[in-house]
Amino acid sequence: MTCETERQRLTAYLDGELELTGALELERHLDECPACAAALAAQRALSDAIGDADLRYHPTPLQRERLRRALRRGAVELAAESGNAGSGLLGRRLRSLAALLAVAVGAWSLGRFGPGSPSRPEPGGVGDEVVASHVRSLLGGHPEDVISTDRHTVKPWFEGKLDYAPEVVDLAADGFPLAGGRLDYVDGRPVAALVYRSDRHVINLFTWPESDRAAPRLAASAHRGFHVVRWTAGGMTYWAVSDLAAGKLEGFARRLAVRLGTG
Amino acid sequence: MAARAIAGSGRDTMTGGTSGHFPMRNATHDAGGRLRRFEEAVLPHLDAAYDLARWLTRSDRDAEDVLQTACLRALQFFDGFRGASPRAWLLTIVRNSFYTWLQRNRAAELATPFDEELHSDPPADRDLGDPEAALLRHADRHLLRQALEALPVVYREAIVLRELEGMSYKEIAEIAGVPIGTVMSRLARARRRLQSFLLTYGSKGIKP
Repeated sequence: MTCETERQRLTAYLDGELELTGALELERHLDECPACAAALAAQRALSDAIGDADLRYHPTPLQRERLRRALRRGAVELAAESGNAGSGLLGRRLRSLAALLAVAVGAWSLGRFGPGSPSRPEPGGVGDEVVASHVRSLLGGHPEDVISTDRHTVKPWFEGKLDYAPEVVDLAADGFPLAGGRLDYVDGRPVAALVYRSDRHVINLFTWPESDRAAPRLAASAHRGFHVVRWTAGGMTYWAVSDLAAGKLEGFARRLAVRLGTG
Repeated sequence: MAARAIAGSGRDTMTGGTSGHFPMRNATHDAGGRLRRFEEAVLPHLDAAYDLARWLTRSDRDAEDVLQTACLRALQFFDGFRGASPRAWLLTIVRNSFYTWLQRNRAAELATPFDEELHSDPPADRDLGDPEAALLRHADRHLLRQALEALPVVYREAIVLRELEGMSYKEIAEIAGVPIGTVMSRLARARRRLQSFLLTYGSKGIKP
């Protein structure tokens, strides 16, 4: 037994991976060989230093959030693929649910609103993005990361997560209670998504700072069964998305704009 | 092929799925159910997966890309997963995704295949005594990071899985797709290199 072969096994011994016989042999050798004992001590010192230094990397909350969204999107794609493969007995289900997948599937590929839509809201397809985000937010069961009807809870939740502070308004008195908020990713940047409810419908309100794009006040459009209303005011852009009736969503947007002091 | 499409761009797979049937109810139900089961089994190991991806790519952004690709692949093949350890399973996919990514984005790193036998080890075992052990024991955190980052990738993955993620040799062997004996020798060489790096730069205060 030479020192060189023992050196190879020091590592396994240090890691508790040497079988019993081998470990006993090595220990006998270590008693007699100061050089190998020193080598073991050095390896152990290194291992302890690495352990104490806590060198693990952790994903940021935003990275986690983006991953969750990608997974939701992936789950829909997979389900759509397997659904198409076994087509035939499909298609007799609720129209609104059909619209849901249609948007998930279509939002990414179309890049524009279909014929008959009043307008195409953004050249870069921000309308597509917010509708797709809206759909994804419904898939996991709860679209809110912070669940609260209290705007004093929801607003501070965004602190440190975004480089701006979204205005949070409660519209419970108008029939649109605040349900919470979450981080989302739209137009290449993290944005605040505020979640409102109206009866059983969910409204996603996306907002981020943007003053330079000339946006008509309360531009409404329909997109594959969903309604989108957007406006820009006070240096912020707002996108409301829901499967609510168009008039009702516009009513929501109008009340909100008034409460924000911009309508 | 499906994995490529999913992992790459959602646009490709989604086009064409809109017309004709609406597999709606089933699709959303399946999507929600699968996602929930997947999240319960796999997401607890997300930190380990990110840690590995981050050490392999040495970049926050690239780590996120690799991790996202890996998680989407894992989601796709989740129904076929029957193993005992979702953690080792996920890390295996992260590692494979990383090498695919490396081939596409940093092919130069793969151009000259790393030969473990040809790359000579630094003679770090000489002159090891109490002062050296003490120096290693109190190595600066920043220097430790640099030392790990400087390791060739096969050594780096072994040391990260062992020292940072606490995986057994058997698990590391499965993840890296090599025999246990290879894991042992890689770890031994990795530690020798780390020692050499730390003793060189730690004792003299030289900037690496």
